[in-house]
Amino acid sequence: MTSSPDPDQPPLDTARHIRYWQRCFRSLLPHHYTANDSIRLTLGFFIVAALDLLSSPSSYSEPPSNPSKASLITPDDRKRLRRWVLSLQHPLGGFCGSPHHVLPAKYTTRWDPMTETKVALDPANANIAATYFALLLLGILADGDGSKAYEGVKRTETLRWLKRLQRDDGSFGEIVDEDGYVGGGRDMRYCYLAATIRWILGGAELGEPEDLNVDALVAHIRRAQTFDGGMGETSMHESHAGYAYCGVAALSLLDRANPDAAAQPNRYLHAGISSIPSLVYFLACRQFDYVDPNSDEENEDGEASNNHELPDVSNLNLSDSAHITGFNGRFNKVADTCYAWWVSGALTMLGESRVLDRGPARKFILEKTQHLIGGFAKHPGGPPDVYHAYLGLAALATMAGAEGAKEEGLGRFDPRLCIGVEASERIAKGRQALLAPPEEDDLSESEKEELERIKKRLNWDKTLERMERMKAKWRAEGRIASLEMEKWNPYDPPKWNDSDE
Amino acid sequence: MPPKNKGGGTRAKAPEQKQEAPKKPQTIRELGWQWYYDTNPHQKAYEELGLSGMTPADRQAYFDQEYLKPGRAKTLSNKAQKELWKRVNEANIPLRNLPRPRDDQWGRDKNGRDIGDYTVEEFWEYDEKRDRYVRLLYSSIFFRSNNIRAIHSEVPDGAHKIYTCSDEELEAERARRKEMAELGKDLYGDKTDPYALDPDWDDVVPIPQSEPEGALAAIAYPGDYAEAMSYLRAVMAAKEYSPRCLRLTEDIISMNPAHYTVWLYRFSIIEALNISIPDEIEWLNEVSLNHIKNYQIWNHRQLLIDHYYPAIAATPSDVAALAESEREFMARMFEQDAKNYHVWTYRQYLVRKLGMWGDAERQSIEILIHEDVRNNSAWSHRFFVVFSDPAYATPDSHATEHDPKVPAEIVDREIQYAKDKIILAPQNQSPWNYLKGVLVKGGRKLGTVKEFAGQFIKNLGDVSAEEVRSSHALDLLADIYKEAGEKEQAQLCLTRLGDKWDRIRRGYWEYKKKMLDQP
Repeated sequence: MTSSPDPDQPPLDTARHIRYWQRCFRSLLPHHYTANDSIRLTLGFFIVAALDLLSSPSSYSEPPSNPSKASLITPDDRKRLRRWVLSLQHPLGGFCGSPHHVLPAKYTTRWDPMTETKVALDPANANIAATYFALLLLGILADGDGSKAYEGVKRTETLRWLKRLQRDDGSFGEIVDEDGYVGGGRDMRYCYLAATIRWILGGAELGEPEDLNVDALVAHIRRAQTFDGGMGETSMHESHAGYAYCGVAALSLLDRANPDAAAQPNRYLHAGISSIPSLVYFLACRQFDYVDPNSDEENEDGEASNNHELPDVSNLNLSDSAHITGFNGRFNKVADTCYAWWVSGALTMLGESRVLDRGPARKFILEKTQHLIGGFAKHPGGPPDVYHAYLGLAALATMAGAEGAKEEGLGRFDPRLCIGVEASERIAKGRQALLAPPEEDDLSESEKEELERIKKRLNWDKTLERMERMKAKWRAEGRIASLEMEKWNPYDPPKWNDSDE
Repeated sequence: MPPKNKGGGTRAKAPEQKQEAPKKPQTIRELGWQWYYDTNPHQKAYEELGLSGMTPADRQAYFDQEYLKPGRAKTLSNKAQKELWKRVNEANIPLRNLPRPRDDQWGRDKNGRDIGDYTVEEFWEYDEKRDRYVRLLYSSIFFRSNNIRAIHSEVPDGAHKIYTCSDEELEAERARRKEMAELGKDLYGDKTDPYALDPDWDDVVPIPQSEPEGALAAIAYPGDYAEAMSYLRAVMAAKEYSPRCLRLTEDIISMNPAHYTVWLYRFSIIEALNISIPDEIEWLNEVSLNHIKNYQIWNHRQLLIDHYYPAIAATPSDVAALAESEREFMARMFEQDAKNYHVWTYRQYLVRKLGMWGDAERQSIEILIHEDVRNNSAWSHRFFVVFSDPAYATPDSHATEHDPKVPAEIVDREIQYAKDKIILAPQNQSPWNYLKGVLVKGGRKLGTVKEFAGQFIKNLGDVSAEEVRSSHALDLLADIYKEAGEKEQAQLCLTRLGDKWDRIRRGYWEYKKKMLDQP
């Protein structure tokens, strides 16, 4: 149902935003961004995702005949950016946050002769947030239908590394170091990042024991609901809309990855939230009437207040329907653009987006925080930044999609992955390609028979078993398998009889 | 042939030439030309008059000077050589002469200005600096080669070190490099980075960042950041834990406090070197005040406390002192932002770790609530401090669960506290949530506060006379009616909220009406 444009509603000036994003895309960020050096992948994600959202096929009024030409990201851009993202991959799984965290090969990998595996020398450089953004970027940047999105990604290594990031209580951290210590907090953000990475790389298909401990993760998320309905780091921390989104999205992605999803559509969503109505209450309360702070109002010490203005309830007028509403992240805090996204995204996934009032929310974003040079600011009147600019677009797209409407110039949006729907479909295709069975060896029937005969003659399976037993024995004794085998005479290796151990 | 009128010819011309150009040379280029003509006395005549115009004496002298060039005199016969030398003696021809100056022979300085345009005094200064630079460079090279031997020579245990590098030499080298850096900057505009200057860092080979063409979100790093990072990568790869690395991490943190591995590295250094944790905490305090939005700082602090605690666990007074100093610092952080989520999270961790339960902590929070009754973080922390106290609460009791072990007095006290604060600002949502949370925790029925909630509402349902001083009171009333089974009253409350008293949330009130049918 497309509604005719409300004359009271300001338009989204997509041309201005496109110029803003093009500038971020093409030029060097100034030196003030040095403190953001470790999250360049994150910044890059916002820029590319915004350009994609503003030029995806559904953003046009008529679907373009050549989507690849209609996109603001040219095929050449896609190639070189893919190469850049893949250059940030850690050889043993995971991605690094920026080129400053990528060391030359000899400093990253070591062959451990005891376990006969490669071991990372600098495992702490692989970061869960960087991995998440990298995988989403590869999906957005994929050509065509996306089946080649994840070529070059080390699926098994990354999933194994991800598993090591899970603690005993089900929570996830940010990095893991050589001693196995999991660094970073234990909050919902990491749960969400982990659930997304698991879905994209097909962790569920690995099966136990390599798959994450899903039940522990769900229990950890369930324990995060607080006394006022929201989600915090734990149930005793303050409730926060960002964590609420991350919790809901994590559960939603666990559901998406559930091989049994058809039979139990919202299994994890219900298992992970002890009271959905309380959570809906918390999210609904995040929207409030926005009142411009009076500059001449009596304020202690003349400082800007930390709290949003309260309307005078005793003085309410029926005609005073809220014209403009802001969103905050916690009770009593001031309005911040990005919470429009976290709240509407969470409610959409819960299926209760109607508890929000779209019109006034949209007005706040477009009238108060949309900036002259493009992008959106954190607070009204502030300068735009890459993070809020993208999440402002995300909020507008989500709220429009929830009503079945369309935001002019913005494509359809997927609230679970926080990217456009077409990009999300490319990721799904890329994921399928990753999980597709490997191609059969090109052996003809006769060659296969010959192979079987040779294996039989050499007693191949038994020999392999024996080798494994001997290696296990040496490992238990603390010896290195390859060195022991070097002691054998290659022309006269020890003969094993069936009677030997 | 000896020139017959040697003196006359040239002297006749010379005064004219001297009158034409009597001025002193201003620039070094002009001085160069002057020297050139001084050592090639007949060159001017050759240029102006040509071979045919020159006097025979001049011509002869000119050619003689050509023959003075290396090796050429030997090509003459002995007799001719003797005559040549006789003529040269008599004519006072300079035996060695300067080559013809080229325009670009002076080069350019760091600002692009041609050095030939320097005045003579400027040029001597410049030349002196260059000379000094080269001498310093040679001394530095000498030092480096010695120093490397001193570091890398393998000496059996107990043996006498052959190659040493004394502290004076090190200091001298530092001063030398500093001077070289200044001179280099002055002369050539070289920017020498602080780490390349420091002889302490000579043995470390930095690993600069390499990224393929076409990077995304590229940042225009300042030069010292890029250099410091390349040294950091080198020492982190080598896993070196030493004081110079500690200083390096401090440098990096001042430029990029959100670097996610440098904090862990710093902590490893602190562990390895056994640095005093209180000193480190003091340093961390300064950094925290400068970067209030950074969470890695608080993660680091937590690691420090974890590391420090076993040492003082046995002395309760030390623990109390630490608790006090931490509380004081957190109060400073709260002055800047009373709702800083990282600080509140850290505070919860600290309460559990140091056992800061009880009155002191609760009163500290009461002060914050008194300053701003709408500080939801403080309310949230209060709930934690009261209902997670291991003295009486069930361990790991979830916030939304009834905990029968909590004494009734505590529950009563909290209910009264919430009610008192609600009266101050009835539309403040925090104490209303708190009240409800306490009732659930204490296993009380919501109906026990029905009268309290009712005081904010008059004439419910009478559209013309209805007065509501708090929409949250009306919401709570709806819950109370639902609990009591009075669905119609509950629906009335929710309808009034959607129609008038909280219109922005009318979608939510509809949802809640739907939920009335469910438990």
